[in-house]
Amino acid sequence: MGIDVGKFLKNPEYEIKITTFRDIFQVEAQERDRFGKDYEKLSACIVMSKNDMEKMGLKPGDRVKVANNNGSIVVEVRESKRDEPGGVAFMVNSPWSNVLVSDDTGGKGLPDFKNITAKISLVKEEITSLESLMEYFRKLKQV
Amino acid sequence: MVTVLEIYQLLPKTNCKICGESTCMAFSVSLLGRKRKISECTPILEVNFKKQKEKLEALLLPSAGAEETGMIVHPELCTGCGNCVVACPVDVANDPKGAAIGCAPTNDKVIFRVVDGKVVASNIKECRRFGKNRVLCYACIDPCPTGAIEFV
Amino acid sequence: MSTCPGCALLCDDIEVVVESGRIKETRNACRRGAARIKGCINRLAPTIDQKPSDIESAIKKAAGILKDSKSPMLFGFSNSTCEAQVKGIQLAKKLGAMIDDTSSFCQGLLIEKILQKKFRTCTLEDVRNKADVLVYWGSDAQDSQPRHLSRFSYFPRGESRQRGYEEDRIAIAIDVRESNTAKICKGHFYRIQPKGDREFILALIDALSGKVPAYEPKKILELAAILKKAEFGVIFVGIGLTYSIKEDFDILVSLADKLPNFQIMPMVGHYNMRGFNENLFKETGFVNRVRFHDTAVHDDKYSIIEALREKSIDALLVAGSDPLSSLTRSLIRHLASIPVICIDPCVTMTSKIAAVTIPCAVSGVESGGTAVRMDGKKIGLSKIIESDYLTDEELLVRLMGAL
Repeated sequence: MGIDVGKFLKNPEYEIKITTFRDIFQVEAQERDRFGKDYEKLSACIVMSKNDMEKMGLKPGDRVKVANNNGSIVVEVRESKRDEPGGVAFMVNSPWSNVLVSDDTGGKGLPDFKNITAKISLVKEEITSLESLMEYFRKLKQV
Repeated sequence: MVTVLEIYQLLPKTNCKICGESTCMAFSVSLLGRKRKISECTPILEVNFKKQKEKLEALLLPSAGAEETGMIVHPELCTGCGNCVVACPVDVANDPKGAAIGCAPTNDKVIFRVVDGKVVASNIKECRRFGKNRVLCYACIDPCPTGAIEFV
Repeated sequence: MSTCPGCALLCDDIEVVVESGRIKETRNACRRGAARIKGCINRLAPTIDQKPSDIESAIKKAAGILKDSKSPMLFGFSNSTCEAQVKGIQLAKKLGAMIDDTSSFCQGLLIEKILQKKFRTCTLEDVRNKADVLVYWGSDAQDSQPRHLSRFSYFPRGESRQRGYEEDRIAIAIDVRESNTAKICKGHFYRIQPKGDREFILALIDALSGKVPAYEPKKILELAAILKKAEFGVIFVGIGLTYSIKEDFDILVSLADKLPNFQIMPMVGHYNMRGFNENLFKETGFVNRVRFHDTAVHDDKYSIIEALREKSIDALLVAGSDPLSSLTRSLIRHLASIPVICIDPCVTMTSKIAAVTIPCAVSGVESGGTAVRMDGKKIGLSKIIESDYLTDEELLVRLMGAL
């Protein structure tokens, strides 16, 4: 039995800027059932330019970990349908994107929801479910 | 999409002019543009052309879901914003007090209406891409950012 | 005709087909509006400590929590009618509580300045009838207020804009992302970097003052030329712009001063967020982040964000909002540790950890009332179908009675 070298090699990490946006299809799914699969599917994703995806060796449908000091999530990669220059990735405003938002407001009461810096890397883990986000909050409650 | 050449290949290719066009190629163009009907080519109605005629009919059947103008609405892409309702020149002309000024359509003569958050097309024969004096109008496609309307 | 409570456009030309008390079909409402009108699949039920209860007991328990609290906050209200908002403000007054709404981390900064008359503004009917240059700035109306372009701004014929959008109007998008709105503004899409709005505004002010801008001079000068020629221009300010210049919001006032033919309009998402701002403003002179003592005191520390960060509240009543979903995770730590009272038509993330949940009717669908459109116009809401649920207004009144 050989040693699975891949197990010890970490996938490369890249720094990425993320801004959030609104998507009518996700809002529709939220109106109907915010605990449903549609809402999760339309929220737990990151939209990237073709350039950036090539640079980072990512394909549409890949799962990536997006993490910073504020938190960490696993979401699906989607390729932007537009001709994007790259450098900025996009996430739909959702409980997933909010995991990454800093609460450093300078006391002004308004976080930088649309100005996120994070590290992104290819992973095999499952996509972060809404249930797992809820579980996190429920545990907080028990403490 | 069907090409002129595909249609031409199925015609008798005799340039008999019975249909009123000068060549079978010209008739193919007219068929594709739906200016003429297959039945105007009387030779093809004869028994020995039966198979070709059937193929031709199949070829000219509107694509699945497409209206006679070739319009296809993709409801799954539509956001129901109503840009097409208001931008369509036929809707503007037929409903000056409703669709033309951005309000809900006030009559049944409009082509586009939004039902359950998605656009529905009716009165297709009023579309500027239909009929004798048709023009290649893009008024409903251009204002649609999601590509929910297309012509095939 | 019914009014759509889907967003702050409050489209009042909606037809709803009702069959045996249930909504069968919506006409003219966009995808977002249709979804709101048709409702959610998981309605909220009354609970205490996540166990089934009844409305009366839940109200009693909620009153108990508020009574025991030394520093309660009332939050939400952007999906409530004006009538319910006024009751919410009264309740906060009675409790000496803090009150804040979603505008606190949305368009509050901008609406405050509009109500203080720091900007020229206009109605959406003015936009339809007069506007020739439309600037969507950090705003993707197509996805957030889907009928904005078709009902009012770009596509309709208006009194002085008879020839339609092709000839009479120019739509411009300034955004980080080529949004669906930007796609419609083809040829007039200006892409900026995240937090690049300030630089862009300063360059534009230079160009409008006859100076050569330091940043992308060719594009900025071209844009300035279009803006200068406008007879009736409107800048639709989205949260993209508000967030980006929050540290120095007055530069937008400076820009507006350079554009005498331009109006400023806030792009509001939740259907009655502006209503809350106006109602609280009328009562206190502030649009949000207020604490009632003997008088109403406004401070950033009374914002939901700072109150949670500073752990300065010990109970939270949430009406028609889902802070667990919309706040940053780090802030939720404190939220999870205090008793939360949740009034909502549907099960939300917040309701799942709330100490008390009280279901209410869907306002604008199961109950009527009034709301304030994004431009400040009051619009009547419709009761489209009957329901057994109490309105949030009635619940707040009962809660006050139980105190």
